[in-house]
Amino acid sequence: MTWRKRWLRLHVLSPIRRLLAVGLYVAVAVVTLAIVRGEPGYALAGHSAVALAGELAAGALLVVAALVAGARQPGALVAWPLAAAGIAWPLAEWNSPGAGAAFTAGLVLYAVWPCLLAHAALRTDQRPLGQPAIALLAVAYATSLGVLGVASAAVFDPIARGCFECPANRLLISGATDAWHKLGQVGLALSVAWVAFFVALVAARVVRSSPARRRLVAPALIPAVAAVALFGVDAAHSVERGFLSNDSTDRALWVGEMAALSLVAAGVAWERVRARRTRSALARLVVDLGASPPPGGLQEQLAALLGDPTLTLLHSLDDGEHWIDAEGRPAALPAGGSREATRIVAGGRQVSALVHGARLLDDPALAQEIARAARLGLEHERLNAARRAHLAQLRASRARIVATADAERRRLEHDLHDGAQQRLVTLALSARLARRQLAADEPALEAELGIAEEELRAAVAELRELAHGLFPTVLADEGFGPALEVLAEQTPRLVPRTVPEGRFAAPVESAAYFVVAESLRRTAGGDVAVDARRLDGRLVLEVACAGELAGAATELEDRVGALGGELVADSHNLRAELPCGS
Amino acid sequence: MRVVIADDEVLLRDGLARLLQDAGFEVAGRCGDADALLRMVNARQPDVALVDIRMPPHHGDDGLVAAQEIRRRHPEIGVLVLSHHLESRYAMRLLEKAPERAGYLLKERVSDLAVLADALRRIGEGECVIDPTIVSRLVARKRERGPLDQLTDREREVLELIAEGHSNRAIGQALFLSPKTVESHISQIFMKLDLRESPAHHRRVLAVLTFLRSA
Repeated sequence: MTWRKRWLRLHVLSPIRRLLAVGLYVAVAVVTLAIVRGEPGYALAGHSAVALAGELAAGALLVVAALVAGARQPGALVAWPLAAAGIAWPLAEWNSPGAGAAFTAGLVLYAVWPCLLAHAALRTDQRPLGQPAIALLAVAYATSLGVLGVASAAVFDPIARGCFECPANRLLISGATDAWHKLGQVGLALSVAWVAFFVALVAARVVRSSPARRRLVAPALIPAVAAVALFGVDAAHSVERGFLSNDSTDRALWVGEMAALSLVAAGVAWERVRARRTRSALARLVVDLGASPPPGGLQEQLAALLGDPTLTLLHSLDDGEHWIDAEGRPAALPAGGSREATRIVAGGRQVSALVHGARLLDDPALAQEIARAARLGLEHERLNAARRAHLAQLRASRARIVATADAERRRLEHDLHDGAQQRLVTLALSARLARRQLAADEPALEAELGIAEEELRAAVAELRELAHGLFPTVLADEGFGPALEVLAEQTPRLVPRTVPEGRFAAPVESAAYFVVAESLRRTAGGDVAVDARRLDGRLVLEVACAGELAGAATELEDRVGALGGELVADSHNLRAELPCGS
Repeated sequence: MRVVIADDEVLLRDGLARLLQDAGFEVAGRCGDADALLRMVNARQPDVALVDIRMPPHHGDDGLVAAQEIRRRHPEIGVLVLSHHLESRYAMRLLEKAPERAGYLLKERVSDLAVLADALRRIGEGECVIDPTIVSRLVARKRERGPLDQLTDREREVLELIAEGHSNRAIGQALFLSPKTVESHISQIFMKLDLRESPAHHRRVLAVLTFLRSA
């Protein structure tokens, strides 16, 4: 950031520079007053005191605007060219016979103010100029100071042009040829060209920028472009003639320029007021957010405040490694393009970030202002987001635990059927075969084997119940409804009253199934009636038990909670709502 | 009576074969998976195929699927599925499309020769057989209203015994009823379940199916 700070400081007018700018303008104004009053016929302001006052006021307003608008203010035209444009504006009157010692300076500088204003406009928000703008300004300055200024002065002999009362031109080299007229025509044509290019360039920039950004820069930028454009029109009007003058068209355009310059100053001032309003609104935010705002409340308020409805607020718990939104969901900072992120740093760590339309918050002071004013609110939101993120992680890990447990149950069920049960059945068969061979010779042993066979059959039946209790195959094969039917077959006191059609996600089906199975396990007797139905993307399960439900429902809460569902239970009823997507 | 045995457990397969041979059945073939079973049934045309529900390759319900396939391709060949599952759904799946000549017994019945042999014979005669444990579970179950509500308790007992694959004579003995009384109960059941139009032995099968469905 240091390079950027240094860069910013260059464009802030220090107190000494401010004093210098004011002093310079006062001097220019005094000289201009003398020149216009001395030779009103040659002046743009003419004999009108009002026009003269307006002329001097427009320049003064520009200088003042440049001084009050900090360089850090978003949407502000850059300060020093703006102040310079204000100071240069009255110089248009100085190439007059009444200019005295200032005459030569007037010959060089009379057309420089549009270049300075264009310069300020192109550097709006301390934006780097870029190749086209640099080329444009080079042509503009070369035209104003070079072609129309120094070069024209070198070949302008006032006496030869019939101005006998004109003061001496100290730059004159030779006024013999027609070079002055030709230079004037070339310079004015060039002026028309660069002004047209300037208007196109700014228009292109405005079109490319975001609506929020456009609103921000418009108040100062539009009148600035208008003033330069009016100068371009005047130049076009004067090409044929070869010099800028003060006929009625020139004067009308000049009045327009004057009004536009005043509007530039007003625009800058308005921006200043707006920025202040934003800051005080930010300060009020702290109070507004005192009463526990909903998640994202701060985001909405900041979006409204900064005029960017797409603004989002992200938070980081690990100094900018990972980001989460207000709901605690993982989010990513934009990697460029039309979105930008302004990071908010507290205690040396990145805690939050505003994601907004490009260049909305180019003003680092404003970002810091937000951080300061909304600190409590931000911290509150950040902690809430962190809490939600942790909850989501917890839920995910709960879901994994339940899924792992189910997978383990299914594996056990498989193993019991395919392993132990199969072996016991084979063993019972072997016992039967042995009995047949023994029947005649050893009746006692045959009877023993008969008992063993019965025991084996009982063991097989018990194993089957055990396996089924672990995880009913039908639940995986055919779903919740059929599994409920099967459970009712096995446990007659279960009465499935309503059973939803179709399949649900496996975790939803097993959660619903185990809610019912647990209700049976936890009631000693009495009917257990089940109503299950699909309702607005949820599987709603209502279990009414005639007997009292004993014990805690921790495992069920885990299952239901893992799915983001809800479980409500009293001594005889269970109600579970499971999000099921459809 | 010619029987083929399909079970992937060799020891059980061979033991079962010996047991059935001793009881007078002819074991026409033995195999260990569903594909081999279908080929064997095709080649040897047994009277009944005795099939374990869980077989390679999937160890799920391969045996049941193969049994359904046999019923579809060879309507004259019966199937008896041996299963770990007490759930009536699996029995339903076997019986629903073609309820004749089909049976569903729990796996542990293999060592109970009397039940096994009786089931095989009844299937050979064109009836259907359901394991008594499954039947009694269905009967015990509380249910919403259905066609079985019209039956008297006695009629329901008779229907249960029909479902288990017993003959009229066996039912009479079990319930201490004369053969004539049993027959009148059965005709009442057929009437109440609206099965009067079907041929006689078919009606027994349909009655069992109604019982299974409404349970």
